[in-house]
Order: sequence, then C-alpha cells, then structure tokens
Amino acid sequence: MKIELIVSGVCPFCLEAEKVWRAAAADHGFEFAVLDIAQPEGAVLAQRLKLQTVPALLIDGTLRAVGVQSPEEALALLQPARQEAHDRMQQMGFTFSPDNRGFILAAQAYLMLAGLGLLLNGSFLSDNAARPAFLHLFTLGFMLFMIYGLASHMLPRFTGNPIREGVWPWLQMGLAHCGVIGHAVGYLAGWHTLIVVGAVLTWLSLAAFAFRVWPVLWPAEPYSNSR
Amino acid sequence: MHKRNRLFVSIALVYGLLGGLIALVRLIDPSLIPGNVPRAHGHIMLLGFILMMIYGIALHVLPRFGGFPLYSEQMADWQLYLANAGLPLMIAGWLGWRDMLVMAGGVLTYGAIVLFGLNMILTVRAKGRGKTIPVQ
Ligand code: HEM
Ligand code: HEM
Ligand code: HEM
Ligand code: HEM
Repeated sequence: MKIELIVSGVCPFCLEAEKVWRAAAADHGFEFAVLDIAQPEGAVLAQRLKLQTVPALLIDGTLRAVGVQSPEEALALLQPARQEAHDRMQQMGFTFSPDNRGFILAAQAYLMLAGLGLLLNGSFLSDNAARPAFLHLFTLGFMLFMIYGLASHMLPRFTGNPIREGVWPWLQMGLAHCGVIGHAVGYLAGWHTLIVVGAVLTWLSLAAFAFRVWPVLWPAEPYSNSR
Repeated sequence: MHKRNRLFVSIALVYGLLGGLIALVRLIDPSLIPGNVPRAHGHIMLLGFILMMIYGIALHVLPRFGGFPLYSEQMADWQLYLANAGLPLMIAGWLGWRDMLVMAGGVLTYGAIVLFGLNMILTVRAKGRGKTIPVQ
C-alpha cells in the first residue's frame, strides 16, 4: 500500500501533516512519498485530481482526504486498506500449500542425507575432492529448500500480494531436486559433467524462485495504468 | 511490509543468483574469474543470500511474533547500509587477493550483524515498554 501526500512549499500546515503521515506509514510498513505541487510530478498529479487544497492525501493513488489529520484520523483512514489486505491474507489461510509442504519435507530429507557425511567421512565434511557433495546437500538441500518453503509461504502473507503459482513452484522444485542430486552425485562419482549439469539446474531453480517472488515484493502499481 | 525489509529480501535474491553464477562459471572454466572464487561464492551465498533473506523476514516477523514494534527503525536502516557496504568489499578482497579489503568489509558486515542482534534482543525483550502493536 502506498501513501502519497501532496504539499506545497509555502503551506504552513503541510509540515504537520507530513509528520503525522510519515509516522503512520512507518508504523504500518507502508510506502510513503511527499510530492510538492511546485515540482513536475506533484503538479501533474494535482492537475489530474483537480486539487484545490493542500495538503492532500492519496492512498494507492486515490484522493482520500485534505487538510491535516490527527494520528487517530490517520489510522481510521488506513483502516479499509488494512482490512482489505488482511482479508486477502486470511483467504490464503494459515496452512502450507502442497508445494511449500513439499519443499519443507524435502529439506528434512536432505538434512538427514547430508548428515550421512558424518558416518561416511567421520566428520561432517571430508577433506577430499567430494567435500562439496555433503556441503551442498546441506546448503542447497536443506537451507535452500527451507527458504523456498518458508519464504513462499510467508512473503505473500506479509505483503498481501499473490505469488506466481501454477506450474512455477513445481518447475522450481523439480529443477532443484535434479540439481542438488546431480551436483552431489557428480562430486561423489567424480563426474564433472554431472556436477555442471546439477549446478545449471540448481541455478535455474533459483531463477524460477526469484521470478515467482519478485512481484510479491514489488507489485505493479495498482494505479499506474490509470495514468 | 516495510520497504527496507523488501529490499533485504530482493537483494538476497540478487546475491543468490550472482553467487550461483560465479560458482557455475568457475566450474566451467576456473581461469575466467580470478581470486579465491570458492570463498567468495561461499560468502555471497551465506552472507548475501541466506543472511539477508533472514534479515528481511526476521525484521518483519519477529516484532509481530513478539507483540512489540521494532526497537529501532534507524538501527535496521543502518544494518541494511552496513551489510551492503561490507559484503562487496569482502568479495572484492577475495577476488583481488587483498586481505585488507576482506578485513574492512568484514568489520562493516560484522557491524550489521551486531546491529541486528541488538535490535532483535531489545525488541523481543521489550516487556513493560508499554507500547504494544495494536490489535484492531
Ligand atoms: C556459532 C556458530 C558456528 C560455528 C562455531 C561454526 C563452525 C564451523 C567450522 C569450524 C567449520 C569448518 C568445518 C570443517 O572444516 O569441517 C564450519 C563449516 C561450515 N559451516 Fe559453520 N559454524 C557456525 C554456524 C554456521 C551457520 C549458522 C551456518 C549456515 C548458515 C554454517 C555453515 C557452514 C558451512 C556451509 C560449512 C562448510 C564450509 C566449507 O567446507 O567450506 N555454519 N563451521
Ligand atoms: C483475528 C485475527 C487477526 C487480527 C486481529 C490481526 C491483526 C493484525 C494487525 C493489527 C496487524 C498490523 C497491521 C498494520 O500494521 O497495518 C496485522 C498485520 C498482519 N497480519 Fe494479522 N491479524 C489477524 C489475523 C491474521 C491472519 C489469519 C493472518 C495470515 C494468514 C495475518 C497476517 C498478518 C500479516 C502478514 C501482517 C503484516 C501486514 C503488514 O505488514 O501490512 N493476520 N494483523
Ligand atoms: C546455484 C547453486 C550453487 C552452485 C552451482 C554451487 C557450486 C559450488 C562450487 C563449484 C563450489 C566450489 C567447490 C570447490 O571446488 O571447492 C562451492 C563451494 C561452496 N558453496 Fe556452493 N553452490 C551453490 C549454492 C550454494 C549455496 C546456496 C550455498 C550456501 C547457502 C553454498 C555454499 C558454499 C560454500 C560455503 C562453499 C565452500 C566455500 C569455501 O570453500 O570457502 N553454495 N559451491
Ligand atoms: C563478518 C562476517 C564474516 C567474515 C569477516 C568472514 C571471514 C572469513 C574468512 C577470512 C575466512 C577464511 C578463513 C581461512 O582462510 O581459513 C572465512 C571462511 C569461512 N567462512 Fe566466513 N566470514 C564471515 C561470516 C561468515 C558467516 C556468517 C558464515 C556462515 C554462516 C561464514 C562461513 C564461512 C565458512 C564456511 C568458511 C570456510 C571455512 C573452511 O573452509 O574451513 N562466514 N570467513
């Protein structure tokens, strides 16, 4: 959610309004911007909204109030948007979706596999050429899969924005499984081609993850197409 | 979600892709990137990807789980600056065989870790500070 305050350099109340809204935005983790009508960006916006008065408050691009608000009034103005984000979050539910459940379960399996290094090497990691095998069963198999499962579960709930679903999570998961196993088996067997193939597949899985998560963090501005 | 925390997560994704890429390039042809590439890769992944991801998510969620607002937003902003000033220096140091750069970057990185640790401790132990996150 984005809060914009349109001000003018010569308006004595604008500073007060800015203080209230800056604090409210920080409290609730909303984006906040101050636009001056003397600057091109602010002027365009003021014209589009046919503004007569400053300070003027926009929430997600819609004019919501003019004048100076008290912190309580600010909270009340934010309430509908908060409620809406909240409703969306609650629709997502608390429980793991099947894909994220799969990531978390696989992470535990890889953790146990990585732990086998203790038996085989006498220590977690050997000092020979196969060292990266168990190392990456831990870092990629356990750590990366945990991040996959937890971040894909939590970030949409933190932001209220949806994550790319459909085939994407399964593609990401398939690539990661083939990648981690290929990478590890390649090191254990000393087969360079398999190491590289595993590495490429793992990297593609990471790219798929980034592609899915990016719009959760930086959604297309809800009002950008109306300009 | 606070913009700074979204930045942490976004930067983590970029480091993850970057760290994977340099490991990949090294596997294909070790002469293409000079320096101690495994060490740089290891730290890009651990400090850049894993730790920044944890920073972003923990800064958002721990205050909410704890029931108190984050102790200091400024500390968290500085944590972002220090972590992202330090790691590139460390990477440059490893790739250029300059131990002083690794050291300098390490101090900054460590500063970020300390800021995070203190901020979290002061947030989670905030009992009695009075101001709870309002439940609507
Ligand atoms: C106080 C905490 C920690 C201590 C004392 C510690 C200590 C160590 C030591 C002594 C090694 C070398 C082991 C060897 O050569 O066989 C090592 C390796 C490793 N640690 Fe930790 N560690 C800690 C926390 C962590 C955490 C939190 C992570 C992951 C996020 C981690 C990831 C790794 C990895 C991936 C290696 C293998 C690196 C390689 O072989 O190049 N460590 N750790
Ligand atoms: C009776 C139930 C609930 C109440 C009273 C409640 C209350 C709140 C309040 C007051 C906030 C702070 C919002 C803000 O700072 O603007 C918040 C944030 C949040 N809540 Fe809830 N919540 C409830 C249920 C849930 C559920 C079911 C979920 C997830 C499935 C959820 C996920 C979140 C998240 C992710 C945030 C952070 C949002 C943000 O930073 O904008 N909440 N909740
Ligand atoms: C795209 C995924 C990845 C690829 C292709 C990859 C590849 C490699 C390669 C080729 C090495 C060097 C092995 C050697 O010759 O010594 C290495 C080392 C290492 N990797 Fe990865 N890796 C990936 C992901 C990760 C992740 C996600 C982590 C941590 C979370 C990680 C942590 C490490 C560590 C700690 C080392 C040892 C560095 C050192 O020796 O100082 N890697 N990796
Ligand atoms: C302030 C931040 C950090 C600094 C300045 C730093 C610095 C260093 C240096 C100089 C080395 C090389 C040691 C040697 O030559 O024997 C090293 C190795 C290593 N570091 Fe870090 N590091 C930092 C944070 C971390 C973190 C947070 C992790 C894991 C979560 C980590 C994991 C490792 C691992 C696994 C090795 C390789 C150890 C081995 O191969 O035996 N480092 N680090």
